[in-house]
Amino acid sequence: MRRRLAPVAVFLGAAGFALALPARAFAQEEEEKFDPSVEFELPAWVEIKLGPLDMSINKAVAYLWLGSAVTILIGLLLMRLKLRVDPTNRQTAGETIYDIAQTQVAEQGLPSRAIGRWFPYCASLLLFIFVINLLGFLPLPLSDERFELAGLELPTLGIYAATSSISVTLALALMTFVFTHFEGIRDNGPVRYFKSWIPEVPKAMLPLLVPLEILGQLMRLISLSVRLYANMLAGHMLILTFIGLIFVLESVLLAVVAVPAATAFYLFEVVIVVGIQAFIFAALSAIYIGSAIEPDH
Amino acid sequence: MFSLVLAQAEANVDAGKAIALALGIGLGSLGAGIGIGNIFGSMIQSVARQPELRGELQGIMWLGFALTEAVVFYGLIGGLLAFVLV
Repeated sequence: MRRRLAPVAVFLGAAGFALALPARAFAQEEEEKFDPSVEFELPAWVEIKLGPLDMSINKAVAYLWLGSAVTILIGLLLMRLKLRVDPTNRQTAGETIYDIAQTQVAEQGLPSRAIGRWFPYCASLLLFIFVINLLGFLPLPLSDERFELAGLELPTLGIYAATSSISVTLALALMTFVFTHFEGIRDNGPVRYFKSWIPEVPKAMLPLLVPLEILGQLMRLISLSVRLYANMLAGHMLILTFIGLIFVLESVLLAVVAVPAATAFYLFEVVIVVGIQAFIFAALSAIYIGSAIEPDH
Repeated sequence: MFSLVLAQAEANVDAGKAIALALGIGLGSLGAGIGIGNIFGSMIQSVARQPELRGELQGIMWLGFALTEAVVFYGLIGGLLAFVLV
């Protein structure tokens, strides 16, 4: 038992230390007012502009690249490499992820004949969002602030999740939105699919209810993207604000309250919110796609 | 007299916005708090009655939890938008 606890203690210590680091950067620039929203601004690193399209590479893009690389690595290492009949710990972890994706996400939402086609999409959504959410809580040297160490200008360690930018979550939600209607039309044919949007009510009610149904489809897009975005944004903002309170009110004594509170929120986010939000996004995607395939249910 | 009040109000508009944001989110989270309490309360009851259904219920519970919890964040985003734009 003691041996098991040691890595946890080391991780907690390291996380607490690293969380305090970006805060120290604020302490140096005392004239600057603390503003947690600065962490969520995305100045371009490499400017790429295609007409009106701004495709500059910034912090969020770097996090997304890193997230994709880690997701692919997890998939390869845990689920593809050297699989055996008596599983090692590594393989068991991979099988657990696969099991959650299959029983909790795909089978809950998708009809059984569509699982083969749409399971890969839902499972990759689950793993990808989980990884980029989790990367957002590891202090990584990808921040826009700089500090000097032995003559070198290095980026400070900072926490930032790509999913706390609405562009990222909206892109993910748009993918689900497009796939939902694409699959609905492909599976049912356009006439039967759009007919399913018309509810069975007296004819006089139809002009009222059909626009509501169409609005509901668009609201799904908004709620799917804003849920993930707002959760991650609020989580990061809470942690930053608690640490920032020490500098705003300029009292070291406040650290006695603020640091444990920030740590508690950090743990809550890492243990519960990160996994739940990834699960919710994947499960709702599966439910939406499933309901488009079998609109009568 | 009225212009004095108005001038005072102009000066205090930032404080007013801060209070409005805090009150809005605080009252908004009241409803979500009740909702989340309901979900976990029902979960405890159902598991107490039929412990063998725990696994199946857990997925539904977390789905409901996240859907309810998200309502606070819609309020937060709306409040922040009003705070920044007005």
